[in-house]
Amino acid sequence: MEFDKKSLLKLGKLARISISDDKLNSLSKDLNSILEFVDQLKEIKTNQVDPTSNSLNQKLEVRDDKVITKNNAEDILENAPEKEMDFFVVPKVIE
Amino acid sequence: MVAQMIEGWNLVIGIEIHAQVSSKSKLFSSSPTDFGSKPNSQVSLIDAAMPGMLPVINKFCIEQAVKSGIGLNAKINKKSIFDRKNYFYQDLPQGYQISQYKDPIVGEGFVEIETENGQKKIGVERLHLEQDAGKSLHDQDPNFTFVDLNRSGIALMEIVSKPDMNSPEEAVEYVRKVRSILRYLGTCDGNMEQGSLRADVNVSVNKPGNELGTRCEIKNLNSFKFIHAAIVYEAKRQIKLIEQGDSVNQETRLFNTQSGETRSMRSKEDAHDYRYFPDPDLLPLTLDDDWIKGLQDSIPELPDQIKERLINEYSLSSYDANIIVSDKATSEYFEDVVNNRNPKLVTTWVTGELFSILNKKNLIIEDSPITSKKLGELVDNIENGKISNRQAKEVLEEMCESGKGALEIIDEKGLSQISDEKEIESLVDNVLNSNPENVKKYKNGKDKLFGFFVGEAMKLSKGKANPKIVNDLIKKKLSQ
Repeated sequence: MEFDKKSLLKLGKLARISISDDKLNSLSKDLNSILEFVDQLKEIKTNQVDPTSNSLNQKLEVRDDKVITKNNAEDILENAPEKEMDFFVVPKVIE
Repeated sequence: MVAQMIEGWNLVIGIEIHAQVSSKSKLFSSSPTDFGSKPNSQVSLIDAAMPGMLPVINKFCIEQAVKSGIGLNAKINKKSIFDRKNYFYQDLPQGYQISQYKDPIVGEGFVEIETENGQKKIGVERLHLEQDAGKSLHDQDPNFTFVDLNRSGIALMEIVSKPDMNSPEEAVEYVRKVRSILRYLGTCDGNMEQGSLRADVNVSVNKPGNELGTRCEIKNLNSFKFIHAAIVYEAKRQIKLIEQGDSVNQETRLFNTQSGETRSMRSKEDAHDYRYFPDPDLLPLTLDDDWIKGLQDSIPELPDQIKERLINEYSLSSYDANIIVSDKATSEYFEDVVNNRNPKLVTTWVTGELFSILNKKNLIIEDSPITSKKLGELVDNIENGKISNRQAKEVLEEMCESGKGALEIIDEKGLSQISDEKEIESLVDNVLNSNPENVKKYKNGKDKLFGFFVGEAMKLSKGKANPKIVNDLIKKKLSQ
């Protein structure tokens, strides 16, 4: 799989990460070398194997439906760059 | 109106329902789920997506999803997988929503709805568990958006229908039916005003025989009225476009509840690419047969079954039975009252008189000031002839106002009906004897005077005489 500059820009846009022009070449080179490495997996024949979504041979842990978390608003909002009336405040989003 | 508008066109509708699981805590965290709490007061470090936090799934939510699947006659998948659906939005702190993509917990099923042309089966494609997002408020400040994460991480069941509906009415019936099933099961409270149940509606139009048209999705409809109105508007819009020679763009649209119009929400070049992949924080969810069997055995009687039973046991019409079972509280109320009483009379008093009073007061049946026991007492007094239907309406209104019992009001107002034939006969004799002229006229063919005699006799009894006995006696006497 080849990771071209166009895909890189699209990925950056989806993640809201801006990528400057001078980084484009080196970044796509890096990403491509990672993909090449992972591509080795294709050499293994897997048509007889069920897709694996997790390599641990364990059951999913579950919990009871109990409320434990108390009001954390102060802690939660502490890291917010902007807050008002207990809300996070972000630049206007219009849809 | 709708039929006229779409004459010559097929409407194809598929619906995604988002139903909030009636759990105390969230899907992957132990935060509360109460509606209307202070902003950001129900947010754990997991919900706020702090680094290093790990999700642990709520067992109750798994159970409710499986129960709902059983209620939707659907296949329960013994293995399902949680995936990350990646997108950037300010009310999604993780940057991804934990959802289920290729392997949902519940597979294909169906529900049956009533249509103009009888019963219709609507296919269910799947039901999966996912996290709700936070809430954005855009109207608090001209330059900023405010975010409340209280909803973030609440468990939702997304129920996806097949595109089996062909009119706005069918779409509404389908949502009603699914909501009713979930409420009977207790897996979702179905409160649409509070957003516990929302619908995304996919609409396309085509000419009969042609291939399917391009569909548009209308997001987040939270009332039956809006679902209907949004479909009507959207179908008209698409037909107009096509008839003008334009084409319909596949897109997501929003319904403006004020103007009744839909408008485009996301432009095409911003088409989302969710890059789904299995969430490495969560193992596959596996269910064993015995556990599923246990849940199957715990499923209560559902609306379709109750409806059939009401029709068989009490000879109700399909129409009446449908009204009664549409809501769990109504069917429980009805069954409380109907026990050992005349079903026809009880149906009239529950779905007619009681409903109209509740409607007037804007109350739901759960909050009825008239309990089933009290309504039963009223029906008893109609059945044994103590009060007439007309008097009973008066008593019911008084019951609603004062909270008093039927008998108490009947005694207080001296309403009890006179059903004693001797007593009524003397009333009737009195009327006939004091109006000899009119009796003569009547006997000479002036039939209309019959009502006059009845009216006089009723007046004389202060409205208490049993009208049927009065009628019968006057008829008898005048034909002598």
